[in-house]
Amino acid sequence: MVGIVIISHSLKAAEGIKEIAQQMGREVPIVAVGGTTDGDLGTEPLAIKEAIERVGEVDGVLLLVDLGSAVMNTQMAVEMLEDELQRRVVLCNAPILEGAVVAAVESAMGHTLDQVRRAAEGAAQMEKLL
Amino acid sequence: MKVDRDQVVAMIKEMAAVVAQNKEYLTDLDSAIGDGDHGINMDRGLRKVLEKLPPVADKDIGTIFKNVGMGLISAVGGAAGPLYGTFFLQFGKIAAGKEELTTSDIGAMLAAGLEGIKQRGKAVVGEKTMVDALEPAVEAFAAAADAGKELLACFQAAVAAAEAGKKATIPLVAKKGRAHYLGERSIGHQDPGATSSELLLRAMLKVLES
Amino acid sequence: MPEIVVEIKNKSGLHLRPAAEFVKKAGEFQADITLERDGKSVNAKSILHVQALGVRQGMTVKIRAEGEDAEEALAALEELVYNKFGEE
Repeated sequence: MVGIVIISHSLKAAEGIKEIAQQMGREVPIVAVGGTTDGDLGTEPLAIKEAIERVGEVDGVLLLVDLGSAVMNTQMAVEMLEDELQRRVVLCNAPILEGAVVAAVESAMGHTLDQVRRAAEGAAQMEKLL
Repeated sequence: MKVDRDQVVAMIKEMAAVVAQNKEYLTDLDSAIGDGDHGINMDRGLRKVLEKLPPVADKDIGTIFKNVGMGLISAVGGAAGPLYGTFFLQFGKIAAGKEELTTSDIGAMLAAGLEGIKQRGKAVVGEKTMVDALEPAVEAFAAAADAGKELLACFQAAVAAAEAGKKATIPLVAKKGRAHYLGERSIGHQDPGATSSELLLRAMLKVLES
Repeated sequence: MPEIVVEIKNKSGLHLRPAAEFVKKAGEFQADITLERDGKSVNAKSILHVQALGVRQGMTVKIRAEGEDAEEALAALEELVYNKFGEE
């Protein structure tokens, strides 16, 4: 199964998105991380690294980020991971909430990391208003 | 002239003091074209660096700078964290195991730090970023060193170039970070990252001059 | 093309968890499956599309499947809807 880490400038936003995505499959490991150590808005590479490590035993880990500097902080976190884990982690170019929802469903369906990533990235093109 | 460990420690304290004094100024610059947190973020990062300084203050200079980099990475919260964090981690690599720094050591540290920032941020000169202050500074330092100048003169040349580079960001259109969403509206504002870069270099220079 | 028409009876309709259950079940089959409401048709294996369809309690939807296991897919999805996705 593919685990998911949700990375936002706001821990509340990350936890809220996790709550929604978790509805898609209770068994999918989802970790939320965000905010600075002293409670401001922002993201920190070390906290993100620890969040990725907290996902546990999975086939791969999909990372979803909100905006701007969260991307760079996440890239740095990935570089700091042990090689073995780093190879199974991918940063996803998807809208964070829609991407998390799609990824959770895809993960619950037992798809591979690459399949889950592609499906989540497809969320960017989806019509919300039918 | 060489730089010893005590001077390095003094430089770090001076950087933290200068950023604390300019917290509002950096935040105001960032409010105009970014998300208005650069001063707050840099101050938080450097306060963390100071907190972590005492246990490494008697180690080699490489360890001290590595600690600065890790402190910034862990506490800044914005893009400046990985960028300046990488800058000082590169300083730490060049200075690893050293108890004092020569002019050529410092030239190599600045060059490696700049290269790290450029790779991390994928920025080049002219995009209204910290690279606009740092790259001219690194080049000016190298040119002065090649001309056989003393360390102090090299560093003075670097800071003068950083200041010019910082001012040169005012008419630029931002190409990176949140400011780039503003496009032409970013014209007329001095880049906060270039500004903090110049402040950090100037803080280091102040210790050399004292 | 085989199709069924079912009424969504569970309380929250095809919302979050039930939608996910529907999509996951559809994903178990090779057949191309579409879900249709009021003439709007979406890929039944796409959670965002199924969510966007806004199917609420009491609505009638048409499920179409095409492919070797189409009949099995429709039977499984009908059962899921009939059992109200394990909800009220």
